[in-house]
Amino acid sequence: MKLEIDESRCKGCNLCTMVCPYRIYRQGNRPNRRGIYVPELDRPERCANCRLQELYGRRLCGICALICPDQAIRWVKEKPYEPMNVVIEY
Amino acid sequence: MREDWLRNDRLPHIYCAGCGNGTIMNCVLEAVDKAGYERDNTVFLSGIGCSSRAPGYIETDSLHTTHGRALAFATGVKMAKPSLNVVVFTGDGDIAAIGGNHFIHACRRNIDLTVVCMNNHIYGMTGGQGSPTTPIGKTSTTTPYGAVEVPFDLVDLAVAAGANYVARWTSYHVTQLTEAVLNGLNTPGFSLIEVRCQCPTSYGRRNKFREPKDYMDFLRSHAVLKEKWERTAKPGEELPAESFLVGEFVRRARPVMGVADET
Ligand SMILES: Cc1ncc(C[n+]2csc(CCOP(=O)(O)OP(=O)(O)O)c2C)c(N)n1
Ligand code: SF4
Ligand code: SF4
Ligand code: SF4
Repeated sequence: MKLEIDESRCKGCNLCTMVCPYRIYRQGNRPNRRGIYVPELDRPERCANCRLQELYGRRLCGICALICPDQAIRWVKEKPYEPMNVVIEY
Repeated sequence: MREDWLRNDRLPHIYCAGCGNGTIMNCVLEAVDKAGYERDNTVFLSGIGCSSRAPGYIETDSLHTTHGRALAFATGVKMAKPSLNVVVFTGDGDIAAIGGNHFIHACRRNIDLTVVCMNNHIYGMTGGQGSPTTPIGKTSTTTPYGAVEVPFDLVDLAVAAGANYVARWTSYHVTQLTEAVLNGLNTPGFSLIEVRCQCPTSYGRRNKFREPKDYMDFLRSHAVLKEKWERTAKPGEELPAESFLVGEFVRRARPVMGVADET
């Protein structure tokens, strides 16, 4: 699972930066096309839900998405991990 | 999933950045989803106000009625078809000022409704006039030198008038709020969940809570858990200034109206 902020919905209120126990959200400092300072994600792969949702089969934590007044935070499915064959050249 | 209840074509909603109403909507939808309600047998109602726009973003049948009259319409819906699940969104002005009488009588009749009051202490939509819940000393457009009237305590009002389930939380306590709404949905009879929330535009701006976060910090630091307070307070001790109790105030089984098999 991958954490994502929908830039077409976020209004830059920064409430998400208050609640995450891992402090994944950081106040943004660059305005986007609509002039909104969307928070930046600091290593979002640490999020409990990203790591464990599939294992547990339900949403974990999710406080940020619950508090986001603009329904802008969501998790998107990632492509399953595929082991790659690395060709080692000698 | 609560996302399935949203009308995505209507989003983003019109609420200002950081408005607590959006958070409360999330929590109510989460609770409704957890309660296992179906979209076909759930109705959302509201009066007029920013808070009352919430049903417009939810994909069920809904009634956006006149100012203060949501409970009257909800009573009609519930009495006509008790099998429906009826949830009412309302504001503090909506329920305590113009709709005050509907409120106490809905509590007295104990009609099987779940009412979520988004209490931002102000008339948000019309530009920030004082409401019956504006705390003493707070500035609004109609109280430019600070409010002098004693505000209503919505929880006390509902308990005294006879509601079966009464709780108070804030837009900061999202998990507890979701839990309380779920309890309200599952309790037959009238349930009131008062949610103290931020209105950065009309209230915060005039009361030194410029950023949405500032009011969140206030809510977090001034909400006193009812259970803890009752355990630790010395006899006669008053709550610190501006603090308020949060938690479940009443859960009882008075006779109810509008429940499918009892009418
Ligand atoms: C009968 C009637 N009186 C007055 C109004 C004007 N009016 C519209 S919204 C509102 C106040 C809403 O305040 P509240 O219920 O606290 O909701 P909020 O906007 O704060 O969420 C008022 C007085 C109206 N629409 N209808
Ligand atoms: S779900 Fe929890 S851990 Fe993950 S980003 Fe949101 S608040 Fe942080
Ligand atoms: S809480 Fe939501 S709307 Fe507010 S800054 Fe975070 S993602 Fe954006
Ligand atoms: S005026 Fe206040 S209550 Fe209305 S949308 Fe803006 S912040 Fe929310």
